[in-house]
Amino acid sequence: MTAILEAKDIVKRFGGLVAVNRVSLTVNEGEIFGLIGPNGAGKTTFLNSIAGTFKPNAGVVRFLGRETTGFRSDVMCKLGMSRTFQISQPFPKLTALENVMVSAVFGNERGAVRDPEAWSRQMLDFVEFPMPPDTRADNLNTVQLKRLDLARALASKPKLLLLDELAAGLTTGELDDLMAIIRKIRDSGVTIVMVEHIMRVIMGLCDRIVVIHYGEKIAEGTPEEVAHDPKVAEAYLGEKYIL
Amino acid sequence: MARSSVQSTIVFEVLRRLTTAAGITIILSVVAVIVSAVVAGPFTLVNAIVTGGMWALLAVGLSLVFGVMNIPNFAHGEFFMVGTLVSYLVFTPLHKYLRQNPSSVLSTVAPFAGIFAALLVGALLGVVVEKLIFFQLRRRSREQWVMNSFLLTVGLSVVMINGHQLLWGTNFKGIPRYWDVKPIDLFGVNISMDRAVALGLAVVTIAIFWFFLMRTRTGRAIRAVAQDETGAQMVGIDLNRIQVLTMALSSALAAMAGASLLFMFPSYPTVGLKPLYVAWYVVILVGLGNVAGATIGGFLVALLQTLTSYFIGVGWEDVVPTALIILILLFKPSGLFGSEVKGVWEQ
Repeated sequence: MTAILEAKDIVKRFGGLVAVNRVSLTVNEGEIFGLIGPNGAGKTTFLNSIAGTFKPNAGVVRFLGRETTGFRSDVMCKLGMSRTFQISQPFPKLTALENVMVSAVFGNERGAVRDPEAWSRQMLDFVEFPMPPDTRADNLNTVQLKRLDLARALASKPKLLLLDELAAGLTTGELDDLMAIIRKIRDSGVTIVMVEHIMRVIMGLCDRIVVIHYGEKIAEGTPEEVAHDPKVAEAYLGEKYIL
Repeated sequence: MARSSVQSTIVFEVLRRLTTAAGITIILSVVAVIVSAVVAGPFTLVNAIVTGGMWALLAVGLSLVFGVMNIPNFAHGEFFMVGTLVSYLVFTPLHKYLRQNPSSVLSTVAPFAGIFAALLVGALLGVVVEKLIFFQLRRRSREQWVMNSFLLTVGLSVVMINGHQLLWGTNFKGIPRYWDVKPIDLFGVNISMDRAVALGLAVVTIAIFWFFLMRTRTGRAIRAVAQDETGAQMVGIDLNRIQVLTMALSSALAAMAGASLLFMFPSYPTVGLKPLYVAWYVVILVGLGNVAGATIGGFLVALLQTLTSYFIGVGWEDVVPTALIILILLFKPSGLFGSEVKGVWEQ
């Protein structure tokens, strides 16, 4: 197995607050990698530092074998790293299809996608988008927006997909559908890093997990190993039973 | 059967559009145009259209910068001033040279050299302003962005006005006309060559600009950024590039407007104030960030000004649009074309 993403000693400070403190991890090609931790642990900040939303204060990010520390998010997108946000960021006045098309056109090298419309329709089908493709994005609900985000992230043909709390706010039935789709994405050859709170999703999907607490990595391993790690149980304290 | 029902929906849709604020405004202005053309003679119309083209150029740039970068640009008039100045500095020596060595070809082309120079300098200045001022502010803090960037543009305006005064003085630097040819006769109205070219330039520029925004890859990227910055960057759009480009476009359009109106507005430090106010009338009238509306709005405001100065009196032409803006803000705060026309434009 080859590493697709390596993060070494990433540090991100906001003023005096150290949000991420020397976190290192390696994601291998073809796996689903989970990032968990209590609220405010620094999971999203870590994701942002990798994906170019902001520059880490220290540390090295290597993506696909080349150093990409501090690259902007549009550059990372072109290199093959797409992401979804905790709160969806669609273009509100475009239809769902057009939203995906923007990504298909600008997320790839010029002319890489021959027919952006057909490709975008295919992506919407792939994530089983539940609404007609010509629905305007500001008419979609949370569940539909998350699917749209997913389709949009996929339209730029990523090699690595970062999912930030994609399952938040979904019902049990919706969770199963989403998990099936995520597996399908992985099987199509995309490596996935997901930040998630819902243990059922994490335990059901991930090959390996890293636990972050107060900005520091406290555990790493398979879901089984992590679930029985006393340090993790301590971090979650009362939430021990969830694991 | 099916066809007639389709037709009736279209009729219904057109009726619905016509009864919105935007539709009523357009109908009223068409009526005003016809009445004024009959009562006051067609020259009011010609005047309105020529200045309208220029207001549209200014307002489009202002609207674009607000829509894409969220900057209420109160230094927009100073780009107009720079346009008049550059064109004056380029055209006058050429003109002097032509007096001594007459050449019909060169005297036709010389004014365009001035206008083109103004366009280039305007674009360059836009890049410098974005890189030196707004980019720096954006990097340091995005809090209270609209207020802070507004204050910066006001400061920039003061610096540019006084810079002009320091280097070139306060006297009027104008020309009587660009082209020394007979006026064109149109429907019994004499239009000077300068006005005709100014209108032509405005129409062609707006058409090219529209095509650029709607049909090209970069234009689409600009519109995506206007809708959602983070989302646009996430799907691979280089935000910095778009922001530099937007600022350059906007100031180039303003400078070009200034240059092609040099025969009406001689260059002096505060020449940009009136165009700035008018551009703001237009932008507020049609709704902030609405680029398509700004084009129509430019002509509407020009018409309003021409009619006011003809029927009520010269000197009132700034009072009436301002009063109208107060009314519009009271009853339709999103601007005349706030929702309807914009929706059509974005299809």
